[in-house]
Amino acid sequence: MAFMTLENIAVCYDKKKQILKGLNLEVEKGELVSLLGPSGCGKTTTLRVVAGFIDPQEGTFRLDGDDLTKVPVHKRNFGLVFQSYALFPHLSVYDNVAFGLKMRKMGKDEIDRKVKDILEVCGLTDLADRFPQQMSGGQRQRVALARALVIEPKLLLLDEPLSNLDAKLRVNMRVEIKRIQKKLGITTLFVTHDQEECFSISDKVAVMNQGVIEQYDSPENIYRHPKTEFVARFIGFENFLDLKKSGDVYQTADGKVFAVETPHEEAALTGTIRPEDIEIDREGRTANVLEGTVGVRTFLGKSYQYEVSTSAGKFMVNMRAEDQFQEGDPIRLYLPANKLILVSR
Amino acid sequence: MAGLEVPCGETLGRHKVNGEVEMKKSSAFIMVVPGLVILAVCLFLPLLRVIVPTFSDGEYPFSAYISFFQDEYYMTIFFRTVKIALITTAVCMIGGVPTAYFISRCSKKWRGILLAVSIFPMMTNSVIRSFAWINILGSNGIVNRFLMAVGLADKPVKLLYTEFAIIIGSVYLFLPLMIVTVSGVMENIGDDMMEAAQSLGANRLIAFMKVIFPMSLPGIIVGGILVFTGTLTAYTTPQLLGGNTNMVMATFIYQRAMAVGDWNGAAVISLIMIVVTLIVIKGFNALANRLDRRGESNG
Repeated sequence: MAFMTLENIAVCYDKKKQILKGLNLEVEKGELVSLLGPSGCGKTTTLRVVAGFIDPQEGTFRLDGDDLTKVPVHKRNFGLVFQSYALFPHLSVYDNVAFGLKMRKMGKDEIDRKVKDILEVCGLTDLADRFPQQMSGGQRQRVALARALVIEPKLLLLDEPLSNLDAKLRVNMRVEIKRIQKKLGITTLFVTHDQEECFSISDKVAVMNQGVIEQYDSPENIYRHPKTEFVARFIGFENFLDLKKSGDVYQTADGKVFAVETPHEEAALTGTIRPEDIEIDREGRTANVLEGTVGVRTFLGKSYQYEVSTSAGKFMVNMRAEDQFQEGDPIRLYLPANKLILVSR
Repeated sequence: MAGLEVPCGETLGRHKVNGEVEMKKSSAFIMVVPGLVILAVCLFLPLLRVIVPTFSDGEYPFSAYISFFQDEYYMTIFFRTVKIALITTAVCMIGGVPTAYFISRCSKKWRGILLAVSIFPMMTNSVIRSFAWINILGSNGIVNRFLMAVGLADKPVKLLYTEFAIIIGSVYLFLPLMIVTVSGVMENIGDDMMEAAQSLGANRLIAFMKVIFPMSLPGIIVGGILVFTGTLTAYTTPQLLGGNTNMVMATFIYQRAMAVGDWNGAAVISLIMIVVTLIVIKGFNALANRLDRRGESNG
């Protein structure tokens, strides 16, 4: 059995609104697993169930074989990092970090040694006497991490820990988190709505939607092979066309034929492709081609993005700077079979 | 930028900055003037007029004060007053702080309702409030009738006209002040503080004592000062619930001035009360600083 399991977890507020609908998740020891999803999908609720702040109406939470569903927060021994960091403003960095050890009634020397060790790991040794309000966002973030790690938790829970940092610091911090997590080998749950952040840091990603996990896989597999339209949309696919199976190929409603590399067992489904994977057809191909008209152009730096109106709806297409089009130009879009992916509706 | 300029320019620049600062100070001063005038005319002048004569009373400047502290009866009243104020403050803190925390954790709707309910006693006239307590504590009052009905007492217990009655009345009077002040501070403490402490291994009680309490200390100190000074100077409650046998400073001042006509004696007591109030406020602040520093140093 997996190290950490959530079985059939159901949570509802106010008896009406169901937040989690029978959620299942398995995490192996030492893995960093992300819960990814839009706001309101239940990812933070899942984390709070694991932390013990929410009692699920149904389901079991197991860690290392023990049923912890009813164990109170303070006896779970999990490290938590909050979006707000939640550092104690009346305590210095040292005392913030020492708080959890004092709660465990450790000896003074042992506390001192452990606090100094973890401050070293997190690069905070020089800031030990500072107070939270005297520090920058990135430094506070590291203190929050050190405070959660020093108690040697069985699980590390991170709730959108990077969303209050500026873009550059965010990239640095996520490398830092990954480094510390791997060094200490600690099983980690990471909640985020940022797919780039999540893909870069995670061993596995659980994409959540409306209280269930839509797909649970490695970042690479999710990026290349999203299973549902929701997952595809959430991780950057912008173009969708309804397809029906007919023999070995797939057809749109108006009879255009598309071949794909990886077939799908369902009969009615959605084909999707990233804006950068669409090419321009200059050879007069018959399959995998959509005819359209060029619309608004936006500049993306490396490329231009065009909005193209086709019989299958609006398509976003990225093109190199050399391929210049004017608004109103006719265009033939080629959707290569190895890039066109089929997902469930 | 200043470093690149010649010394002369630097001094010029500094002058300009100084000028600006001074202008701001003077305009701020003008805004303070109306308040200062009112304070001077209505507070400091009358106070001086009352207090100055006390220093020419007797053989040497402080003889009136020295004889106050030598008089056993006066000292009994003095210590009773301070004792009642301290006990009231302590009871208000013990009762008010958890209540305030509870209210601050409620939803916005309930917070409003509960705060309104807790302020309710302050909206009634203090005479009526005290009469209500006479009704409850009197020898034929609710408490005594209950005690006798249950068989805990054969004859009425003396509750009214005791220090106990004054303390009960004062707590009832000032507890709302404590609750409102402290819950105002606690509202600004996020749930994440409690949750962070819990996740680090503290149960709710320890988390409250180690995190929420020290964080709301500024509010508790302000509430404490309000309750203490309020109880120290309250007149109606001790007059009606304490009676003539349990005189406190405020009722004593009234008696000296109005019944005996000893205005100088009343003025002496007044100044002593002011000094006691200032000392206690200072003490509260020193305590707050010490507790804060204890949190700051590594433990």
